[in-house]
Amino acid sequence: MSIWPEEDTKVLAPGEAEFDTVDMTLNIGPAHPATHGVFRMVLTVDGEVVVGCEPYIGYLHRGLEKLSENNDYRQAMGYWDRTDYLAGMACEVAYCMAVEKLGGIEVPERAEYIRVIMTELSRLNSHFMFLGAFGQDVGSFGTTFTWAWRERERIYDLMEEVAGDRMFPTYIRPGGVSMDLPENFEPRCRWVLDQAKRALDEFDRLLTGNEVFVERTRDLSPISTEKAIQLGFTGPMLRATGLPWDLRKAEPYSIYPRLDFDIPVGKQGDVFDRYWVRLAEMWQSIRIIEQCLEQIPGGLVLNPDLPKTLRIDSGECYLRFEGTKGEYGVYGLARGGNKPYRMKLRSPSFCNLSGLQELVVGTYLADAIIILGSIDIVLGEVDK
Amino acid sequence: MSKKAQSGMPYPIGKQVPHEELKSVIQRVLKEVPVEFGATSTDLDVVVQPDDLLRFVTGLKERKELAFDFLRNIAGVDFGEEGMALKYHFYSFKHGHALQVTVPLRAAGEPHPVVPSLTSLYPAANWHEREAHEMFGIDFEGHPNLKNLLLEEDLHIHPLLKAHPLQAAEILQGIESGPPGFTF
Amino acid sequence: MTTESPATPEIRPYKPDYGAEPERLRPVDFPASRVAYKVVLPGVIQTGADTILAISRKSSLWPMTFGLACCAIEMMGAFMANHDLDRFGIVPWASPRQSDVMIVSGTVTKKMAPAVKLLYEQMPAPKYVISMGACATNGGPYTEYDRVLQGVDKIIPVDIYVPGCPPRPEALLDGFLALQRKIMEEKKMVG
Repeated sequence: MSIWPEEDTKVLAPGEAEFDTVDMTLNIGPAHPATHGVFRMVLTVDGEVVVGCEPYIGYLHRGLEKLSENNDYRQAMGYWDRTDYLAGMACEVAYCMAVEKLGGIEVPERAEYIRVIMTELSRLNSHFMFLGAFGQDVGSFGTTFTWAWRERERIYDLMEEVAGDRMFPTYIRPGGVSMDLPENFEPRCRWVLDQAKRALDEFDRLLTGNEVFVERTRDLSPISTEKAIQLGFTGPMLRATGLPWDLRKAEPYSIYPRLDFDIPVGKQGDVFDRYWVRLAEMWQSIRIIEQCLEQIPGGLVLNPDLPKTLRIDSGECYLRFEGTKGEYGVYGLARGGNKPYRMKLRSPSFCNLSGLQELVVGTYLADAIIILGSIDIVLGEVDK
Repeated sequence: MSKKAQSGMPYPIGKQVPHEELKSVIQRVLKEVPVEFGATSTDLDVVVQPDDLLRFVTGLKERKELAFDFLRNIAGVDFGEEGMALKYHFYSFKHGHALQVTVPLRAAGEPHPVVPSLTSLYPAANWHEREAHEMFGIDFEGHPNLKNLLLEEDLHIHPLLKAHPLQAAEILQGIESGPPGFTF
Repeated sequence: MTTESPATPEIRPYKPDYGAEPERLRPVDFPASRVAYKVVLPGVIQTGADTILAISRKSSLWPMTFGLACCAIEMMGAFMANHDLDRFGIVPWASPRQSDVMIVSGTVTKKMAPAVKLLYEQMPAPKYVISMGACATNGGPYTEYDRVLQGVDKIIPVDIYVPGCPPRPEALLDGFLALQRKIMEEKKMVG
């Protein structure tokens, strides 16, 4: 008996069975090791193929916006850096930039360079977590995760030396940063970057050159640029489709116009491109930090004319910031007093996740998990 | 590594379109819609009434000179007794300009104020409108699935309204009569 | 009158004298506990059954990683190579049916609370709960928002509270060691 199917074997498409089938409803519940947080999706599967997907979020809704209205400008920052908890300092920079835009506060140059260094270190942190978790989802259970954490611990140690705390130091303040860098920052930072470069080479060799990985991820849920723009994707999800749109170049802020870096893009927006864009972005982040270390001037690190209580009479702004996952937008409205009137977070993970149904329907169940992993969500942002 | 030359970007980089230029383009192209202009620290602001919103936004999307193909954000604001407002933020990849559209609404209360939904034009508006609905109590006409998104399905509260209070910490933790174990 | 200098008293070097203080500060006399184990042969010990059960319970605590929010990141950091918890026998295990400890790390919202209760009920006894971080202890920074459960001990019994926002991995390790001491203390309790 031959192992190959007979000549007249009919291959069935999903839903086309010759016998009665019932689609199964599978709940990938809020507590799950592979959902990167408390996220629930209810999949309707026909055999192994996903035919319907409904995401449920809100299991970490902590009231960021309501609590920001009842706290001082500086106190509210404590809620904002816990949104993207993988890259705490980047969110602090975004929020402080919004407050500065509202109040017309100037930031000294040295503080701008320090902020850019901290933002790019946070971006490295977040992308290392993505590499670790995504590698784990695809199948290298534990290897990539442990490697990623080795690098993350080094960056956390560096942040602790500079700012005092690992994840949420509230180091960035409206008007600058709170303390100057320590004296041995440059050699320490260069050492951390050298280790990160070595780790990126290791990840590259393990994943990009791995046939199993490429077979699993290439051509999986491709998406065109027009569809991505319609669904509201930003960040690496949009760059993977081929459009080199990066807010640091398109609507530049801070000192990014003085820095020289490229924008990596993918070709067809599939899972492999999203992974590859993030990996290549990490090399660019390292390049940015090295340029900042060379160009950083001396001087003050905090605007000396700030009053003890920050009061802003009126102002409205929508500040867009290139967060680690996409466009981190802070819409702020000030109407007098020392508390913001309304601060809304336009979180990139929220907008990227809203397109999950389009990406997942039609793929296999195992692929649905890695598609979710490739969107790279962080639930603090999604649920605000 | 793909290295695109700076000048080869398919959108204008770093181009700050002055507000006057965008304002004149909108006034010329969409002159039939009555709007008012304002400005924020970052964008040009256009105030549109809820009845004209769908016409205006269709014009923003379909006219070549405007070509706003990206809906970034929908934010609701509650002004208490003075009413509410919805803020939409748009961006055009082709021209590189950004816009904020403000829609003033009446004050919160039952029945909810109604605004046409933009999901038919921009699928990205789906979740933003669901969030604005549950946080402020604004109904979006024509939305395919207007259920609670971040809150539980059966709750009928609107937390971001100014009238919805923040609970005092002591009440929530059950220690309103003092620290636990301490009696006066 | 002689020209000698008057006889100087012999100067003794300074030596502090505390009087009866050592008596006052002697630590309290606690009776020596009964010997925990007796070495019978090289490599063989003899002890009571409750001590053996307690030692085996504390040396192989398998936590059900219930990572909800930011504390989950520090919890993962505690399991990873830098602050290895595996050397204490603590192996993260995703399923509640085979785990001993539930580490509630992160903010518990009221939407998530039924899931927390269900998972706690699915764990077989003996089970312990470590509430990691300020949010799981009493609501943390989010104490005024009524969608946040003000502490996970409002719905499940908690054994160890680890403070911090987020607590360092070493703090979580300290929490585990405190849990191990607690397990040894309650070794006479059954169930």
